[in-house]
Amino acid sequence: MNFLEVNNLKKIYTTRFGGNQVRALSNVSFSVEKGEFVAIMGESGSGKTTLLNIIASLDKPTSGEVKLSGENIVSISEKRISAFRRENLGFIFQDFNLLDNFSVKDNILLPLVLEGRKYDEMEKYIRPLAEKLAIDDILTKFPYEISGGQKQRTAAARALITAPKIILADEPTGALDSRSAEGILEILSDINKEGQTVLMVTHSLKAASNAGRVLFIKDGEVFHQIYKGNMTNRDMYQKISDTLTGLAAGGDKK
Amino acid sequence: MSRMFYPKLAANNIKKNYKTYVPFIMTCTLSVMMFYIMFFLRNNKGLDIMGGGQTLRSILGMGLVVIGIFSVIFLFYTNSFLIKRRKKEFGLFNILGMDKKNLAKVIAAETFYAAAISISLGLILGIVFSKLGTLILFRLLDFELPFGFDISWSAAGYTVLVFSVIFFLMVLNNLRHIHLSKPVELLAAGNVGEKEPGTKWLLAFAGTVCLAAGYVIAIVTQEPLQALALFLVAVVLVIAGTYLVFVAGSIAFLKLLRKNKGFYYQTKHFISVSGMIYRMKQNAVGLANICVLSTMVIVMLSTTFSLYLGLNDELRSQYPRNLFVRGCDIDVQKSRAAADEAKDLAEKMDIKQKHTVDYRYLAFHASYKKSRFKNAYPGDAYQSGDNGMVILIPLDEYNRMQDTEVRLSKGEAVFYSPNAQLHEKEVYFRDQKVKIIKTVKNINVQESYYMRLADVYYFIVPGEEDVIQIAKKFPTSGKQNDLDFYYGFDTDASPKKQINYVGELNSLYTEKYTEGGERDLLAEGSENVRAGFLSVYGGLFFVGLFLGAIFIMAVVLIMYYKQISEGYEDKERFRIMKNVGMSHREIKKTIRSQVLTVFFLPLAVAGIHIAFAFKMIVRMLAVMNMTNEMLFACCVAATVAVFAVFYSVVYAMTAKVYYRIVE
Repeated sequence: MNFLEVNNLKKIYTTRFGGNQVRALSNVSFSVEKGEFVAIMGESGSGKTTLLNIIASLDKPTSGEVKLSGENIVSISEKRISAFRRENLGFIFQDFNLLDNFSVKDNILLPLVLEGRKYDEMEKYIRPLAEKLAIDDILTKFPYEISGGQKQRTAAARALITAPKIILADEPTGALDSRSAEGILEILSDINKEGQTVLMVTHSLKAASNAGRVLFIKDGEVFHQIYKGNMTNRDMYQKISDTLTGLAAGGDKK
Repeated sequence: MSRMFYPKLAANNIKKNYKTYVPFIMTCTLSVMMFYIMFFLRNNKGLDIMGGGQTLRSILGMGLVVIGIFSVIFLFYTNSFLIKRRKKEFGLFNILGMDKKNLAKVIAAETFYAAAISISLGLILGIVFSKLGTLILFRLLDFELPFGFDISWSAAGYTVLVFSVIFFLMVLNNLRHIHLSKPVELLAAGNVGEKEPGTKWLLAFAGTVCLAAGYVIAIVTQEPLQALALFLVAVVLVIAGTYLVFVAGSIAFLKLLRKNKGFYYQTKHFISVSGMIYRMKQNAVGLANICVLSTMVIVMLSTTFSLYLGLNDELRSQYPRNLFVRGCDIDVQKSRAAADEAKDLAEKMDIKQKHTVDYRYLAFHASYKKSRFKNAYPGDAYQSGDNGMVILIPLDEYNRMQDTEVRLSKGEAVFYSPNAQLHEKEVYFRDQKVKIIKTVKNINVQESYYMRLADVYYFIVPGEEDVIQIAKKFPTSGKQNDLDFYYGFDTDASPKKQINYVGELNSLYTEKYTEGGERDLLAEGSENVRAGFLSVYGGLFFVGLFLGAIFIMAVVLIMYYKQISEGYEDKERFRIMKNVGMSHREIKKTIRSQVLTVFFLPLAVAGIHIAFAFKMIVRMLAVMNMTNEMLFACCVAATVAVFAVFYSVVYAMTAKVYYRIVE
């Protein structure tokens, strides 16, 4: 059994006043093994954010299923979905999604507080994590007082603190300068090496070249995928670049 | 570009921003309406023929001034909300190529439309409802409505003038805002990164001290006149305290909560405590405004209402007998003659007497300390709190009144007091010793008006010369050579008959006792002054109702704008929380608890203010002869209930709008 399994996912949006139907995902199937680092690439409008939202249980597909450790996310009831999301999924967003009125520490602790954990327990979790992400000296600061890179590391810490089954990252480097972007990618690679499964949506070649496998989405379908194997990041970058050029030129499905 | 471009754009803007514009225009319209009606009533010719009409006119005039000032403050306040929300739009126009001159034209046109709509609509409504206003006012005053429908052109003219000026000032203010800012700032105005507020411990402390001081004054002050003097001090302290506590105290308190880790890091408290810190920073002043306004509305309405309802009591305590004769500095023979004439006239007019009192006396202010009555003047005696009123009655009068045959030797006295006690058997009037040989439980005198304000001491002394001798030591007695005289009685006769009686008796006295153009006997009746009382208390109640309505409208609008502008900000925060794993139900619960707190905190604090102020207001009302504490309590309860209902309806309405924005 695969760790994460996406089968025949379809999503059709109907525009507000009836009429036009927009097909965001036509038929997407793929699977992710435990401990993998998978990047999903595609141009704007290719459906990759829709896909991630469905996997994140923030959106419901028109048809198809998403299984995490054998449980179908799509059929989880509205009541349980929040708890499920909290316990199993960790999110890193492009625009960080930090709350302005919470300190860095409180932002990180938010999921644990929602779970109703004891404060002593929270302290135990946050210390090593903050040290690892090099944010232990800004814990008392507020989001508007820290840099973009620090914000994204805070968001990463918030995603990691519940020890989720899978980390979902939506354009994590999108709003960062190149140095901060490198930092966050390094963190993602590191936690992946420690066994954390990561699924990342991006259209940055640089970001994708850190992943162990890259899926390409075009017109709502998985079009192609490449494995990193023993390649260096640089070689991977080149290969992705070639694939994208081919895709743009209208190459055939493999 | 066509000449009509800016006016058209402005009209469109109003249409597009109806959610913020409609309440604004409604407020302006209602303010115009209220202003016109008040002005109309003040100009009403009916007041010329009404008893106490001039007093009523000046009360209405005062109400008018308050409405005017309040309209300025309030319309500017709502206008600032409007501009804040729209800065982004103006920034966009600016970037798209409109220069500031063009923007100014659009803004001027928009304000012109708003002004034109609200002034004309307000005037129409004002003219329509002025009749209703007149009906209510005259109904309250128990006065026949003398004429039909009417429009006061001068009132309309002044209304247009006043509100045109207000709108003109508003345009200037808006232009100043736009002129001072850069386009990029305008664009970003909607989402400036909010900093966490700092804790101002000193201010929080000062606020608590102010509140506590105000409350202590309200509770400790016992003397009615002292209460009157200190009330303003207490009010200022409490208002200052309210602002400081809302602004600094609330944040300090929330931060203390946050420091308590065990408490703070619980699902229930985590989001609401930090959310409230954030909220209080932006809303503290608004909430304090609402709290102060609510308190004012409730105090104003309940006091004027109870004064109006308690009119008969007030009349009675100021005029303890329906009909009476007062003589000043007259001798015994004249007193007897005057009393006989009053009695004969009553019999002739078939007016039956009840509760008749008839006595000669002298009264003066004195403070009593350590068995000694000392010279005192009304002002300082009341301030110090040990004020007193001494009334001296000669023995002959006493024996006649009470039908007794008490004997007193020189230097002896009989003592009576309706509201004080003397433990000493020997008292001194300055240096003159008087021995109290007997204390009686009751004597047949009119209930002294001073009873509610001061301790009243009656002494029966052997002769008239003793009365005069003692009184002359005290300047407030008037240093007369003869005594004062009071003859009064109650009756069931019709008010008209009573008024006639007073008139006839006075002309009789004028005929007989006018010496050198001066008359020392005067007949009076409570029915003669009833209309005057009604016009004062009815007028006050009417103005109270009017201002209450306007204040409630203000509270409603502030709430509405607050909730809307908060809704837009909270939307983003709740989206993030949902992403992080907060369920729909939890979100809804937090929203509700926060909105409830923000809404009902001011009302709760207003309730506390009123609870503390209650005793003090009761004491002040005593000065105005309103001593029915139960009646006042009922009025407060009724006002609070009506206010709470209004408030809850507004809450339900705004909460709905808020949910719709957030979800």
